[in-house]
Amino acid sequence: MKRRKFDVAAVPAKSAGALDDRFQAATPLRKVLNKVFPDHWSFLLGEIALFSFIVLVLTGVFLTFFFEPAMTEVVYDGSYAPLRGTPMSAAYASSLDLSFDVRGGLVMRQMHHWAALLFMASIVVHMLRVFFTGAFRKPRETNWIIGSLLFWVGFLAGFTGYSLPDDGLSGTGLRIASGIMLSIPVIGSWVTSSIFGGEFPGTIIISRFFIAHVLLIPGLLVALISAHLGLVFKQKHTQWPGPGRTNENVVGERFFPRYVLKQGGFFMVVFGVIALFGGLFQINPIWYFGPYEAWVVSAASQPDWYVMFLDGSTRLMPAWQIDIPIGDGYVIPPLFWPTVVLPGILVGLSLMYPFLEARRLKDHRHHNLLQRPRDVPARTAAGAMALAFFIVLTLSGGNDVIADKFHISLNAMTWAGRVGILILPPLAYYFTHRICLGLQQHDREVLAHGVETGIIKRLPDGRFVEVHQPLSAAEGHDGHAPALDYVGWVVPKKMNRLGALGPAIRGFFYPIEKPAEAPVSPGHPPVEPRPEREEIGSGESRR
Amino acid sequence: MTSDNDRRRGLLARLRGRPVARSRGRRRLGAAVRLTAALMLAGGAYTVFAPGVQAQDNPPLSAAANEGKALFDVSCVTCHGRNAQGVEGRGPSLIGVGSASVEFQVSSGRMPLARQEAQAQRKPPSFTDEQTRQIGQYIQELGGGPQVPQGNLREGANLATGGELFRINCSQCHAFGAGGGALSSGKFAPTLKPASDRQIYAAMLSGPQNMPVFGDNQITPEQKADIIAYIQENLKATQDQGGFNLGRYGPSTEGLAIFLVGIVALVFTTLWIAGKS
Amino acid sequence: MSTHTEHQAPQGREPLDVNDPRLSRFDIVQEGARRDDIEIVHYEQQVVPGTKAERRLARTIALFFLLTGAAATAFLVIYIWWPWQWEPGRGGDKWYTPLLGVTLGIALLGIGFGILTWGKKLLAKEVSIQDRHDQPSSAEDRRIAGETMLFLADEMGIRRRPLLGVSLVAGLLPVGAVVAAPLIGGLITNPHKNNQMFTTGFKPQDGKKIRLIREDGRPIRPADVSVGGQLTVFPGIDGGVSNRHADSPTLLIHLREDDAQKSRAANAREGHGDYMWGNFAAFSKICTHAGCPASLYEQQTNRLLCPCHQSQFLITDNAKPVFGPASRRLPQLPIEVDEEGFFVAKSDYTETIGPDFWERP
Repeated sequence: MKRRKFDVAAVPAKSAGALDDRFQAATPLRKVLNKVFPDHWSFLLGEIALFSFIVLVLTGVFLTFFFEPAMTEVVYDGSYAPLRGTPMSAAYASSLDLSFDVRGGLVMRQMHHWAALLFMASIVVHMLRVFFTGAFRKPRETNWIIGSLLFWVGFLAGFTGYSLPDDGLSGTGLRIASGIMLSIPVIGSWVTSSIFGGEFPGTIIISRFFIAHVLLIPGLLVALISAHLGLVFKQKHTQWPGPGRTNENVVGERFFPRYVLKQGGFFMVVFGVIALFGGLFQINPIWYFGPYEAWVVSAASQPDWYVMFLDGSTRLMPAWQIDIPIGDGYVIPPLFWPTVVLPGILVGLSLMYPFLEARRLKDHRHHNLLQRPRDVPARTAAGAMALAFFIVLTLSGGNDVIADKFHISLNAMTWAGRVGILILPPLAYYFTHRICLGLQQHDREVLAHGVETGIIKRLPDGRFVEVHQPLSAAEGHDGHAPALDYVGWVVPKKMNRLGALGPAIRGFFYPIEKPAEAPVSPGHPPVEPRPEREEIGSGESRR
Repeated sequence: MTSDNDRRRGLLARLRGRPVARSRGRRRLGAAVRLTAALMLAGGAYTVFAPGVQAQDNPPLSAAANEGKALFDVSCVTCHGRNAQGVEGRGPSLIGVGSASVEFQVSSGRMPLARQEAQAQRKPPSFTDEQTRQIGQYIQELGGGPQVPQGNLREGANLATGGELFRINCSQCHAFGAGGGALSSGKFAPTLKPASDRQIYAAMLSGPQNMPVFGDNQITPEQKADIIAYIQENLKATQDQGGFNLGRYGPSTEGLAIFLVGIVALVFTTLWIAGKS
Repeated sequence: MSTHTEHQAPQGREPLDVNDPRLSRFDIVQEGARRDDIEIVHYEQQVVPGTKAERRLARTIALFFLLTGAAATAFLVIYIWWPWQWEPGRGGDKWYTPLLGVTLGIALLGIGFGILTWGKKLLAKEVSIQDRHDQPSSAEDRRIAGETMLFLADEMGIRRRPLLGVSLVAGLLPVGAVVAAPLIGGLITNPHKNNQMFTTGFKPQDGKKIRLIREDGRPIRPADVSVGGQLTVFPGIDGGVSNRHADSPTLLIHLREDDAQKSRAANAREGHGDYMWGNFAAFSKICTHAGCPASLYEQQTNRLLCPCHQSQFLITDNAKPVFGPASRRLPQLPIEVDEEGFFVAKSDYTETIGPDFWERP
């Protein structure tokens, strides 16, 4: 019998064939491989959140091997001398051990905490991008809702994690959280004692927070993130308007190989930046805070930045207590409004926004093209207003640090915040609105008259005029170049962008498509010269 | 009285430090203030100074105290009055504050005051250590009061006890990292970074400005040594575990860092990734 | 592989025969893309194979990867041999974490930028256009799906047999409650057990008044607190200095004579005339706003500031809130000195400690 020669080269093809026999993978695989993603820097912001979540899971798993979620009282006997002999909870002692007695534990702890801050920060930045470009409109309202929920679930994840070490600072935060729960009318005291298992602080809250922090909340996050990504995949990414881009297509790169390589590389960069942060910048030095003791506090007690806006709203709240004179008398404390009602309103507003806007504009079409912020002044201004609101509150959350370091009276800071929260958001709305209109106007001017060249010409009658370079080459019927349509995309404003000199810095700050892309092959324009676009500018700009 | 006024003006000029060019408006304002002050002084001087005059020369002063009295009469008398009896509305009486208070205020440059304000600021001291000691001696012999002991102030200290005491008694105002914090209406608890052992000890004993007094019955000298050791040896170490401490302002600077460094660096990376090559 | 692809008319084209031997691999890729409604309209190599530019790029990328290797090795060396255990002062251990972070960071950034450069500079640039197909399903499909579901309902026959539906709901609701009951029932805790929200550790036990003690357990004599001083005190009971009595920490303040007079007058106005002892007053340290220790005592202005939300309380006026979000004064502890000369609490606090809540009388 002839021995068949074993053909190594044929192995991959053969095994691939065997796989397809069983799983019929070839057709779906082709569909996954053939997936076009539009390329723009701002589309990568959400990825920062995704990647920091992966880092959070990796470092978090490491931490669970050493952390002991118990409030049993122990006496510290680790290597950090300034706390030796101090009675503390097992949770705090094991956090100290993670920092001082587990080799490399501190860098992991710090990376975990920095990754949490980065996770929340990139969620917010990504959310702003989505908001200001109108990417939340139909058909993507569901994904906007999921994204908003991700912020609030991330908020909970952050708060529970921040509380786990049971140090002086986080214990103070937990004390405030219990006060917030207490302030809820009617059921407040029942909610608090049920969560804390009795009177604050009880002996069980750390274990409960632990299971929430390592199982329930991450599980929820994973589910929400999967749904979020799945929907992006299913509904395909939005894209900026531009030559060849319509509401019905996606212009970009195929998923493989370039796009995936870029994603993989970017993950490593995010991971690397978190590692640098974890090593170079100290975060949450719990060994200075000491164990949580109900009578110990520090000046400048703040929560992490994403909770600071609630701390700020609490600080700015006037002492308005509502007494209800029924029976023995009941109270709604001032703490209730800025910490329970305000977040409730914020959650509601953020979830409802896509529907509110669609209702106001009576706009029920599909939108796959993004809008530049300037083209929707009302939305952009509303966003700026919300941002101003958030920033004033966040700064007020650190107003004692600002007061101390810049030698401003603390009381003046509080009053500045109270006045600022009323005045700055409307101002932000007004100015943003005007700026948007101005930018739009300038774009229209350039489209109508051309680019300013900087060349001043003297006319025979003695007037000086600046020469404008029209954008379209064709001569119109009256000898002028015809005005171009406003399409809501970048208009060249400088001569060198027109090709006279070429961009000053190549590749940086520019989207992949230049306004005028050279045709792929002579005689065959790659796309229709002026494709039909459904959304040209905004409803308002076309009035 | 005129000569008195002249001396006072000269003293004010000295306290102000080097003469600097000032606008006419400020000069006029300054003149008006000085005029008012002079009038008030002329009117109230007798009633205020009279008791002091009587109390004069009662205790015989030591040589050092005499030196101190000379310095006091040049630099401090304006606000604290003859024989440190205090001047209503300008400066408190120093009877009974002890040399600890003088040592803290003068050696940290808080006294003499540059101007009347919410709270005295730390600045380079105007007197040498010897002069400070002499003024302290004078105040001590006038009315007694707490004194900072000589010698090593953190002998045999225990860092862990110090930390515990620091967190109960000090951190609420001076913060966990001893960086200081804000108090009501523009007042503040200063950072402890530039404070010496003796200054911390003196501050605890004398309760300068709005700081509560921590007498020896409340915090024993041994416990004070523990606290001082904890501040000086643990909190002041600029280098510590976990990298650059971002000024130890807590989560506010951490939040700032993640946006200004983290997000900015990553956004630039996205610009590069998506940019045209 | 051609650097420029020939453009085919997207509409109405015949599918290519992928078995045609004349097709290049790229042609097949392009054909596959077309079957997924993707038109690769622009495909251009960025570097010509074999040129200097390509070799230079390859070297740069290789350099990134080698940098990663070096940094990762450095990480391991530092991890294993660097002195890492805490020691006082500025030992080498203070560099351990930064060094780990930097080497790990460089290693990861090396891979990252290596891959990114590879993908960005070395691979061909392309512009592809894919149809979205995000129109809703056809009216026919919608109708079929709808009818199918209605048919399902018909098959179940709920409309014809309402008893089934009602009994199913009636059966499922309790099951849902059964699922929730152990969780809710297990968690729920009565906040008013032992009247705990209205009592503190200073409540006299068996008619015996509770002493004020320090953090180290020693009782306090009046001479222990200097004029203008403050001391955090605890109930002298088992676990008094612990989080078990988190509502009990109290601030004992020794007021100056004139401030004490004001304070006594204010006490008298409120019917708290005997709450102070001499010039000593004791106020709850737990802020009535959110429960932080309000303990930034300014001995000249007699204000007590809470560092969490900047509520300010005026001690000489029954610790009334004068600024910030707090709406309720700090409760005052009635104190006296027992026959042995130590401070005791005359009774428990007469007002509720800590953050406000609905049913506080």
